[in-house]
Amino acid sequence: MTTKTPGRTGLTRYTVGLPIVLVLLLAATQADFRSPQNLLNFSGQIGALLIVALGQLFVTLVAGIDLSVGSVMSLASAIAATQAHPLAAVALATALGVAVGAANGLGVALAGVHPLVMTLSTATFLQGLAYVVLPIPGGAIAPALGAAATGQVAGIPAPLLWCAAAALAASLVLRRTRFGAHLFAVGGHPRSAYLNGVRVQAVVVGAYVWCSVAAAWAGLFLAARVSAGDPALGASYALESVAAVALGGVQLTGGVGSVAGVVAGVLSLGLMTNGLNLFGVSPFMRGVLTGALLLAAVSLQRRRIVGM
Amino acid sequence: MASKQRQPLVELRGVSKSFGQNAALKGVSLAGWPGSIHAVTGENGAGKSTLMKLLAGVHVPDSGEILLKGRPAALGTPARARRAGISTVFQELTILPNLMVAENLCLGRELTRGGLLDLRALRREAVQVLERTGIALNPDRLCGTLTVGEQQLLEIAKGLHSEADVFIFDEPTAPLNRAEVDQLEGLLRALKGQGKLVFYISHRLEEIFRFCDTVTVLKDGAHVATQPIEALTQEGLVALMVGRELEALFPERPASIPDLPALRVERLAATPHGPAVSFTLRRGEILGIAGLEGQGQREIVRMLAGEQPRHGGEVHAATAAIPPGSVEAAVRHGIALLPEDRKGEGLYLDLSIEDNIWLGPLRQTALWRRAPRDPALVRRLAERMGLRTPPAQPVGSLSGGNQQKAMLGRWLAADVQVLLVEQPTRGVDVGAKAEIYELLRRFTAEGGAILAVSGDLPELIGMCDRILVVRGGAIVADVPAHGATEEQLLGHALRSESLSEATA
Repeated sequence: MTTKTPGRTGLTRYTVGLPIVLVLLLAATQADFRSPQNLLNFSGQIGALLIVALGQLFVTLVAGIDLSVGSVMSLASAIAATQAHPLAAVALATALGVAVGAANGLGVALAGVHPLVMTLSTATFLQGLAYVVLPIPGGAIAPALGAAATGQVAGIPAPLLWCAAAALAASLVLRRTRFGAHLFAVGGHPRSAYLNGVRVQAVVVGAYVWCSVAAAWAGLFLAARVSAGDPALGASYALESVAAVALGGVQLTGGVGSVAGVVAGVLSLGLMTNGLNLFGVSPFMRGVLTGALLLAAVSLQRRRIVGM
Repeated sequence: MASKQRQPLVELRGVSKSFGQNAALKGVSLAGWPGSIHAVTGENGAGKSTLMKLLAGVHVPDSGEILLKGRPAALGTPARARRAGISTVFQELTILPNLMVAENLCLGRELTRGGLLDLRALRREAVQVLERTGIALNPDRLCGTLTVGEQQLLEIAKGLHSEADVFIFDEPTAPLNRAEVDQLEGLLRALKGQGKLVFYISHRLEEIFRFCDTVTVLKDGAHVATQPIEALTQEGLVALMVGRELEALFPERPASIPDLPALRVERLAATPHGPAVSFTLRRGEILGIAGLEGQGQREIVRMLAGEQPRHGGEVHAATAAIPPGSVEAAVRHGIALLPEDRKGEGLYLDLSIEDNIWLGPLRQTALWRRAPRDPALVRRLAERMGLRTPPAQPVGSLSGGNQQKAMLGRWLAADVQVLLVEQPTRGVDVGAKAEIYELLRRFTAEGGAILAVSGDLPELIGMCDRILVVRGGAIVADVPAHGATEEQLLGHALRSESLSEATA
């Protein structure tokens, strides 16, 4: 082995370098970028994506993909908009995440449905449900939730704190729990993991549940920021979360990835959006660029990291 | 044998296991005692690994019982078998490439404190295990960078690192060198001294006689004998393992083969500057290709099948030259490949026998034409193949032998003149082997020609009319199969002087 392998984090100089280059570029050319107001906006903009992408990371580690995260976000926001009590909204959204994740996970792990088909089906199902619950954007989000998503704690903007909390939680689970260790094992080689006594199916179900709960909370976060529910709130997040994960060096074939990589991927996507705004480029170009970046990130992924 | 006063640690009572139509184990009974290294041996496909996988929780027996310390045990999954005190080193490597050495060692039994992994304790434990087993590996190394031998050592360390009473080692020494085997012997003896039971699966007689105290022999899925090692000689053990009439397997050869070429191969080369091969395959002939693994056998066959590009050389069928690099052209000239990997390359596992056979004649039908089926033809072929399963059954559920027959049936239905056969009976049980040899011989008796590659020398000697030996991509010998011996063929395969222009 003469070349340094990125190991199982999947971090390369490109995954880490891209957001740094973007920050330098924007800071050098756009005075507005450096304004505190813009930085505050920025953390709010990427918060939801970071939370979903950290969920998507778990599913990707076991070589799955979850396209239903967007619909889960939308439905969670629709539900939250119909609840007056903040705790009721949080509890219902969490329950939604657990139920959807369990359905996706059982479908994939037990019934053997391909993850794309399974989660696309639940995505369609839940999107319909979101329109039933809340046909048009509106409703009212409990003020306490709004405060939690937009306020400040000791001068630090709340979104930043939520981002940090999400990253820390994901990192703790991945590095310091059996579940986390087994996610990597299952993603590395499911049969070998099984022969080593890992309960593969339970691990896969756990990954999908984690992902859907993360999506539900991301939906809450976003709804709280705009103080309204929206049945199409999460539509763009399914593919953006996959793009962020791929940009972060997470192998879509499973077993390789890290929280740091996902943070880098989310930052890259977020900075790109922010930059396009500042440069005054049409917001529709964002989709064009996201697609191009996703393709580039996936094509550049090396098939044989750590000999897999 | 003081231990025999107590009860056996493990007892299998009449266990059977089938995969599809293939009976892997037929009513095997076996007892293992504490403080014993118990060899389980037999030929390839005798059922050794299947038997051990029942104990390891990978397979569940179709019938029969497994008792641990006298009590019936349900070992449905590897995790449960482990908890029941059975630690297994599988024949297949189960090291995960994206984990560290220490993580692999502790996988499935990670130490936790307060719900979180105790990473420091985990590493300390890994260091201890590696030290105790004398295996020099860095616990922080990523396993994707280990060699196969190192991975095997890690598997062994992993198997030993367990609070188990029963240890299973399935062919653990294949990638190990002599010193490492000695090291393993010491570790196994230590287990024996602690009153553990070790099942040692191997067909290396030397190792069995060196460190096992009891031997169980399996043959074709059935239990042949369990005896203390002192009661056996090496010859006696071999007789228990084989004891099969080889001659009866093969049909008779034709007395003479007329000089009618079915395939003329001239200066065929797999690489631009590599050696070229020339030979003639005659109608009515089964021509074998022997050699050590990876000496160019596969390339020759694949080039003839049009599956791999060729660098120079010509191939002539009975009537015309065959253009290179096109499977379609090869089939059009009546040349068909029966690949070694039947499941991956040869068959449509989800389709029925009938559909798989019917694909053969379909090749001659233009794409825009209707493709009427001729059930009578399929039935005739299935009958001729000795396929006794209903033609609507999916091919994936068939035994290896029946799959081979279905594939053969397809090409017979397509009316080909030359069959290229890779490993004709790999994964096929003994009864079906004889049938396949018979079918191949019938094909040539009716004017067809066969080129067969096999790693099984007795098979080539029994089945073929003539055998080519290859080494380093060149043909080094061309011998009549009748009267050939394994020693003679191996001699050619190993020796260095070249007769590469020896042509028929």
